[in-house]
Amino acid sequence: MAEIKKYKTLKGGIKFENFKGQIEGSVVEFPVPERVIIPLKQGFGDEVEPIVKIGDKVKCGEIIGISEKNISSPVHASISGYVRDIIEKNYFGRETKYIIIEGDGKNDEFEKLKYHDKKFEEMSPSEIGEKLYLSGVTSLGRAGIPTKFKSSFVNPEDIEYLIIHGIGSEIYNVLIDKILEGKKLFNFVKGIEVLKKLFTNIKKVYLAINRYEKKFIEEISKLTYDFEWLEISLIEPKYPSGYDEVLIPTLLKKDFPYGYSAANIGVIVLNIRAILYVYEAIFENKPFIETIIGLGGPSFKENLHLKVRIGTPIKNVTKEYLKDDKDIRIILNSLITGEKIDDLDLPIDRATNHIIAIKENKERRFLSFLRPNFRGYSYTNAFLNFVDKYPDTNMHGEKRPCINCGYCYEVCPVNIIPHLIIKFVMKNIFDERLMEYGIFKCIECNLCSFVCPSKIPVSHYIKEGQHKLINIGCDRSQCILPYFQLKGIEEYRGVKKL
Amino acid sequence: MKNFINFLNSIVKIRGLHRFKPVVKAIDEFFYGTEKITEEPPHIVDYIDIKRYMSTVIIALIPSVISSIYFYGWRVIFLIFISYIFGGLAEVIFSIIKKKDIEEGFLVTGLIFPLTLPPTVPWWVCAIGILFGVIFGKEVFGGTGRNIFNPALTGRVFITVSYPKIMTTSWYIPFNKGIGGFSSFKPDAITSATPLMIFKSSNEIINLKDLLFGNYPGCIGETFKIGIIIGGLFLIFTKVANWRIPFFYIFSVFIFSLIGNLFSPKMFAPPLFQILTGGLLFGAFFMATDPVTMPSTNEGKIIAGFLLGLLTIIIRVFSGYVEGVMFSILLVNGFTPLIDYLIIEKKYKPYRRNEKY
Repeated sequence: MAEIKKYKTLKGGIKFENFKGQIEGSVVEFPVPERVIIPLKQGFGDEVEPIVKIGDKVKCGEIIGISEKNISSPVHASISGYVRDIIEKNYFGRETKYIIIEGDGKNDEFEKLKYHDKKFEEMSPSEIGEKLYLSGVTSLGRAGIPTKFKSSFVNPEDIEYLIIHGIGSEIYNVLIDKILEGKKLFNFVKGIEVLKKLFTNIKKVYLAINRYEKKFIEEISKLTYDFEWLEISLIEPKYPSGYDEVLIPTLLKKDFPYGYSAANIGVIVLNIRAILYVYEAIFENKPFIETIIGLGGPSFKENLHLKVRIGTPIKNVTKEYLKDDKDIRIILNSLITGEKIDDLDLPIDRATNHIIAIKENKERRFLSFLRPNFRGYSYTNAFLNFVDKYPDTNMHGEKRPCINCGYCYEVCPVNIIPHLIIKFVMKNIFDERLMEYGIFKCIECNLCSFVCPSKIPVSHYIKEGQHKLINIGCDRSQCILPYFQLKGIEEYRGVKKL
Repeated sequence: MKNFINFLNSIVKIRGLHRFKPVVKAIDEFFYGTEKITEEPPHIVDYIDIKRYMSTVIIALIPSVISSIYFYGWRVIFLIFISYIFGGLAEVIFSIIKKKDIEEGFLVTGLIFPLTLPPTVPWWVCAIGILFGVIFGKEVFGGTGRNIFNPALTGRVFITVSYPKIMTTSWYIPFNKGIGGFSSFKPDAITSATPLMIFKSSNEIINLKDLLFGNYPGCIGETFKIGIIIGGLFLIFTKVANWRIPFFYIFSVFIFSLIGNLFSPKMFAPPLFQILTGGLLFGAFFMATDPVTMPSTNEGKIIAGFLLGLLTIIIRVFSGYVEGVMFSILLVNGFTPLIDYLIIEKKYKPYRRNEKY
């Protein structure tokens, strides 16, 4: 029987509650766009080579980009039509190739995957791996899903633990009970079985779930009654408990090689939707051309779950659902760590989970520091904010010197002292003391910048310190490599920083 | 209001007056929130800022201030006013010299300082104290966040040493009937001794109820214990103050005085009497929780709390001064860098010894 342990909580972190504009409702199908723009680098892995030319006719689900040399997964045409153009575009500071496809409206049929006539029970692990690789699902997760192909830098035999997380500790989260509504819950369980079969040496599968999702936990524990290899772990939904660096020490009681990947110590962390896509690839023979995203934030008219084709430009979604305000900031994936989107022509790709829209607030409020601030959000209890909190982009205060208040130290999930480190960085002192104080342990969760009452961009300084240290020859590998038996390390170093 | 600030802004553009820009900027920022927006992730930041942080401490001090008016008359407000004027003046002059923004730290210093003085202290002594505290306790170190010693206590020690007669003998019996001091300016000229002095000279112990309600002579803001406890708990609830230092301070005073009282009841007062007399609660909740001058690590805070308790008892029992809170806090302020250094060395030493990162 799948055992349910007492819930676990991480050190530090913040529980974000009551933010206005939570994602709700069942998954809605977004209309298939007439034109898609498909990046050749999606999710984990390097950029792939285009195998189509301008003017070619492509079918929905056909592979249009694949690379045998690099660690990558194939990319598919998400609608059927003609290749209009292959362009280069800046994607958050990185030049990436995009294939633009003009649709012809025949999107109902998609190209079936290899082995589509074979039943799952008859498939061998390597065949499952090939099918997953060809479907493109393997590019999900922080380190991909390892197969016999070059979809990750480790081999499937190296994987000992699989962690599936659906904790939802961010400010806006897709709801797992809406994504796994009805029959999809069975599909999800089947998807876990597929991965169990793929990773032949797996010891245990962990399912990390928000401990307040009582109904979901009950249902899933009934369904997985006879899986003795599955453990359902209840987790307090504190940000950043969805991070690999935090999940692995809390669940497995294992040290994490900070700065490297969980796959290096034989652990794969995937989110719930990835498992669903695995099911779709294996049982429905469907390439990875559709993804579920959530629209979060009070600046959307409706906060929905959308099922969209990969490559749909973000402006298609925002045109439909965004409010008519002028000052809106659109953010990809996460309010705390995500990037701001200025170019709405950028597409939704495999790694997109959420699109968040919040108000750009430049308003100067009269005596703002004395108000009770019913809409305010804070780590402290200095505000009367028990009701709905409206996120906005104002700084809410002037920059001041650090007063050692210790909030960054209290919220830090990896137990470093951020205010101590930034004092070194601000004074331009770079030596091994910084490494001793754990500057390379930083997981860039940005909570220290969030809580700082002096409005110091703490995480920015930590990142700056890391870069300067690397420039003078102090690498993070010096802190990690001697103490861990890491797998696939040669390949990992080959991959550029993602 | 906006017009007034615009007017000030236009004035400082005149040549020669541009030095006063920090002052205008501080006024502007005081009345209106910022228009700056986040530039990089995180896209939203916490609502708390230093102004809110400091004003939370001021809110927590309100019970003490009101009760002190009740006990000692409206002169208390006059002293607070003096302290703000002179403390603010020092802050403004230094910000003009440094060409940096005015920092909000003095809002708290300027309120805490007069509350630690005897009720009839002359206004010029108060002014000298706060000037010394702000300049030599804070500004010479580089301003808020860099000071080693608590500025309010630095000022108080200076005037205690310079004017010992005023600072150690002028204790007055507070008003305790009817509307108390709300109808008068200063306390009646009946001098008395503080409970700690009485204990030292005659081993007499005032009953705990009087101590709780502050019905005994003492410094301006430190006698109404209930108000201080409420304010302190409010600070801890809002997370502006960390609970560790006040808790371990009071706990260790309790322990050490209990042990001392068992062996020598003549020298050591009983624990509850120790906790409820003098400035102990006021110091524990409002001065020992100052984040700048106290250790920043959790373990360091516990050590500092115990050290504070030990030093307080030692000074109260064995020295010529009856009150040990002020000196113990300043001494621990001096120890703070050492405590933090030792804790951080111990915590992060494993990495140097080539153990697991």
